[in-house]
Amino acid sequence: MGLRRRPQRLPQVNRSLKLVGIDTGGTFTDFVVLGPEGLKIHKERSSPRNPAEAILKGLKQLGLASGAVIVHGSTVATNALLERKGARAALLVTQGFEDVLEIGRQARRGIYDLYASKPASVIPADLRFPVKERLGPRGEILLPLNPAEIRRVAERVEQARAESVAICLLHSYANGEHERALQEALGAIDGLFVTASHEVVGEFREYERFSTTAINAYVGPVVSGYLGDLAEKLGRETKVRIMQSNGGSLSIEAARRHAVQTILSGPAGGAVGGFHLGRRAGYDQIVTFDMGGTSTDVCLCPGMLGRTTEGEIGGLPVRLPVIDIHTVGAGGGSIAYRDPGGALRVGPHSAGADPGPACYGLGGTEPTVTDANLLLGRISAAHFLGGAAPLYPDRALEAVTGLAAAIGLSPIDAAEGIVRVANATMERAIRVISLERGYDPRDFVLVCFGGAGAMHAADLARSLGFEKVLVPEGAGTLSALGMLLADVRRDYSQTLLVPTAALKPGTLDEAFRRLEERAVAELEEEGFERHQIALERSLDLRYVGQGFELTVPYRSDFEAAFHRLHRLRYGYADPRRATEVVNARLQAVGRTEKPKFRPKERRGTKLSAAVLDEIPMVFSGRKVRGKLIDRTLLDPGHRFRGPALVVEYSTTTVVPPDFYCSMNQWGDLLLEPS
Amino acid sequence: MSRKKFDPVTLEVFRNLFYSVAEEMGVALRRTAFSPNIKERRDYSCAVFDGRGRLVAQGEHMPVHLGSMPLSVEAAIRHVAMEPGDMVVLNDPFCGGTHLPDITLVQPVYLEGDDKPFFYVANRAHHSDVGGMTPGSMPLARSIYQEGIRIPPLKLVRKGRVVEDVMALILANVRTPVEREGDLTAQIASNRTGAKRLASLAEKYGRRLVEDYMQHLQDYAERMTREAIAAIPDGVYRFTDYLDDDGLGNGPLPISVTITVERDRATVDFTGTAPQAEGSVNAIYAITLSAVMYCFRLIVPFEVPANHGTVRPLTVIAPEGTLVNARPPAPVAGGNVETSQRIVDAVLGALAQAIPERVPAASSGTMNNLTLGGIDPGTGRPFAYYETIAGGMGARPGADGLDATHTHMTNSLNTPVEALEHDYPVRVRRYAVRRGSGGKGRYRGGDGIVREIELLCPAEVTILSDRRARAPYGLAGGEPGLPGETVLIESDGTERVLPSKASVWVRSNTIISVRTPGGGGYGRPVGD
Repeated sequence: MGLRRRPQRLPQVNRSLKLVGIDTGGTFTDFVVLGPEGLKIHKERSSPRNPAEAILKGLKQLGLASGAVIVHGSTVATNALLERKGARAALLVTQGFEDVLEIGRQARRGIYDLYASKPASVIPADLRFPVKERLGPRGEILLPLNPAEIRRVAERVEQARAESVAICLLHSYANGEHERALQEALGAIDGLFVTASHEVVGEFREYERFSTTAINAYVGPVVSGYLGDLAEKLGRETKVRIMQSNGGSLSIEAARRHAVQTILSGPAGGAVGGFHLGRRAGYDQIVTFDMGGTSTDVCLCPGMLGRTTEGEIGGLPVRLPVIDIHTVGAGGGSIAYRDPGGALRVGPHSAGADPGPACYGLGGTEPTVTDANLLLGRISAAHFLGGAAPLYPDRALEAVTGLAAAIGLSPIDAAEGIVRVANATMERAIRVISLERGYDPRDFVLVCFGGAGAMHAADLARSLGFEKVLVPEGAGTLSALGMLLADVRRDYSQTLLVPTAALKPGTLDEAFRRLEERAVAELEEEGFERHQIALERSLDLRYVGQGFELTVPYRSDFEAAFHRLHRLRYGYADPRRATEVVNARLQAVGRTEKPKFRPKERRGTKLSAAVLDEIPMVFSGRKVRGKLIDRTLLDPGHRFRGPALVVEYSTTTVVPPDFYCSMNQWGDLLLEPS
Repeated sequence: MSRKKFDPVTLEVFRNLFYSVAEEMGVALRRTAFSPNIKERRDYSCAVFDGRGRLVAQGEHMPVHLGSMPLSVEAAIRHVAMEPGDMVVLNDPFCGGTHLPDITLVQPVYLEGDDKPFFYVANRAHHSDVGGMTPGSMPLARSIYQEGIRIPPLKLVRKGRVVEDVMALILANVRTPVEREGDLTAQIASNRTGAKRLASLAEKYGRRLVEDYMQHLQDYAERMTREAIAAIPDGVYRFTDYLDDDGLGNGPLPISVTITVERDRATVDFTGTAPQAEGSVNAIYAITLSAVMYCFRLIVPFEVPANHGTVRPLTVIAPEGTLVNARPPAPVAGGNVETSQRIVDAVLGALAQAIPERVPAASSGTMNNLTLGGIDPGTGRPFAYYETIAGGMGARPGADGLDATHTHMTNSLNTPVEALEHDYPVRVRRYAVRRGSGGKGRYRGGDGIVREIELLCPAEVTILSDRRARAPYGLAGGEPGLPGETVLIESDGTERVLPSKASVWVRSNTIISVRTPGGGGYGRPVGD
């Protein structure tokens, strides 16, 4: 493969278009505006009780009260689910299977954990109503659903004063007739949010499909209320799209119906942003690396955004195509400690934002990764968040010294040890998504963002073999940027479960034709013309008898492509063995208008002007003098060798002694081992 | 214990590395396997060993394989001269195996230029069928010869190539050979993945360092286990629990344990346990060892890596010829799945006397092994389907037990109803929580499950279960859970209660209803 440069894609330019990406986070709401005059960033303190307040305030500040196109990533669905503050949702389910949501897959998490747990069902037992009906695995009707039964269950839902209802019938992926009949009857109940499993997922495996549908019913009314209110406040002049977990966006109307599709959208924005900026810099084999305070998200993008249908939130499965993000519990706030066997461990416990790392001086006394970085000279106390938040190196030293004594190391060695152990966890995360799937990091560029990503990226590049690390401009607000670059994307699927050899001519085309009809109709409803809609067909295949599928593009040689992918992922393939088509998948993409990025202006400044100072740094146990560089004073074309620390408002880039750092035409920093 | 100094940072780095190799082997196996037991239920384990065959790291797969994998590697080393590129297959319970459906593959990993292995890798998986008297190979047998094909340690791969004779012999003795071959291929690939990763690890970090840290990691696990045992008051603790029967009318069968804790070591003595049974509930020593290791890991309040060091502070005495250390030709299919659970109940019952604040009440104590077999009218071919059904978890000190969850020695997943009905001639009629089956207490025992499956053709149904007569115990005044029951419901509505272990031919449209036990309660119920 190698590091291919690809030609710049030039989207159509609308001179007056103002696109705004808005990412609502726990502490700040980030705004990124892309207009004819370039990129503009704004931060507003979040208003957790009503996230819309911060949005309106920020837009006003930016002078964008109306007329803009907004792409918004909201955590309303995620928070409603995780905090169990969703709607009073009811479940209509095939009789005999009322407890499927509760039983799950029968397994516990943490097999040696005395206090192992299972996530609580979002719909309690007293709101789960059995329906007398039954379908077989080929969609055949075994027990018809009669009108009296429909009336009976509709009445029960109404009497239960449910705000929403999830309709989950066995084998509805093969025949949606019964679910549709219930949908229709329940649709007549005023104000009731109705969602049916065959529409939400369309695939077999009842627990996963029911769980996804139940979550949609649980968060739907909350999201719908929030988005309805937001749309009203913004007025008709402002067009709003909502970020989804699949890396695309969705109209506000569709998002209100398919709230579950927004549930993993936060990290998706970051991956989309990282991928786009990697491509802008000329690379398309990318690993995105987002290291925050408590966790780190990584995503493999081999020429495209990696996707999976095995997403999960709070232990509950979400069986929808989502950006394939792998998360590990190591971040800047992760706490280091000595375990009873004498090993140095880091995380998963985190000091969080409160009290935060010891060096914040807010009462934290346990050593964290951030404290270790500070002692090693990898954070500049004077420039942290523009100097707005003071740091206390003596507190960090005190915390690390305690631990160092316990493990018999000097404080500096202990600090390097903390960083090494944290890096080992992140290295493992990247190995899982790359080497374990047959991809070699040497063919990829590591695109890092989040508050702490650029502090650790060079070390990871060294140990995993990445030849380039990209630290994009505005790495701290990359999620919001990713949102405004997201096309409208909708996923459709249909379970087939047919041996490839037994496929009748036309079966697949017929399945795709039906999915496409629905897709085109729904995208046209969102305002796209047919020529703006791209349709991507793919198939989930497996060897007959296997339990997991691989997704390959639908072309005439799809079976050969499956054997190749199986070999890449698992080390072997058997072309003599029969294969089976499990699902037909369609992704419909509505291309959105995007303003053009402009190269960063060269000011003709000297590199020496950007060097603020010389500072002590530690690498591999050696104390060295490093350059302290202000990123905002760098010009494209500048190139220097480590050791150095590049500071900016929202992040810090560590350049070890054996790395070169340069700035490209877009203002991104590029780290390369020498 | 070696006194060599280790670096606490490097130790943690290597712990991560070895563990991730074992996990990666597991992912490769699960995603490419064909048996529902492997792909859906995750009944497998993968592990990394040092050059002497001592366990360095094992993935968090099946607790019942915890202590038994090293004995597989030991048997392979003892019986076969393995050369580079070779792989040994075995399932003989009396020579490195556990019960026949569990097939283990062991591979030595040679580094370039070496004449002896630097590592070993091994993986074990529960195959859907290995022959024997009933489909699914979990029969109510009287000797191991009825349970299926018995494979002593043999080369399945020689110099990188599959030995076709051995493969042919295995495939000729099983009901579903295409599926078996697929599973074995997946197991071979899994070991190769592990071997490749380990070789590159040795190249990257250097042999010396890797060798040193394999030993340091074992010492580390030993220190952790000793620390945990030291927290148990010194003393002698005794407990006896019972299996209902052996399926042939013999029972109840006592499992007695005496635990002696002395500072940082413990002796677990099963003297007094029933002699090995006529029926298939016999456990071999490796299972007993696994169950004991599991119990000690459960009560440690911190995460201990599972490796050779974990077992050093423990002495397990299991008299030969008893239920907990059977001799050939005893049948053993149920020892792995049923007796292992009762051994846990006995050991935890004894530990409850020493540290009541850290021991849960008894969980359902049976895996409710259900096997269905016959001729699929749709395809005209034989089918064999095996599943285990979860029960209630025993209440914990300070927390209710979980409902409808696999506990202790198993953590396998269910087969989705929609997948089951697509692949086999059955219809699931009901899959529900068995309300009220958990024992009452200050903390409530978890409820069991009701699972009802209708056969759509004449079929042979085998149930291998326990806790039908004797209930899972409560602790600290908590009440016992409700025992389980298995009922056949004919198409005319007549019901027949089956014994705990039974194999019956049923007519088309018969429903088998399995109601699994609830867990015991903990602490006196409030209001009593």
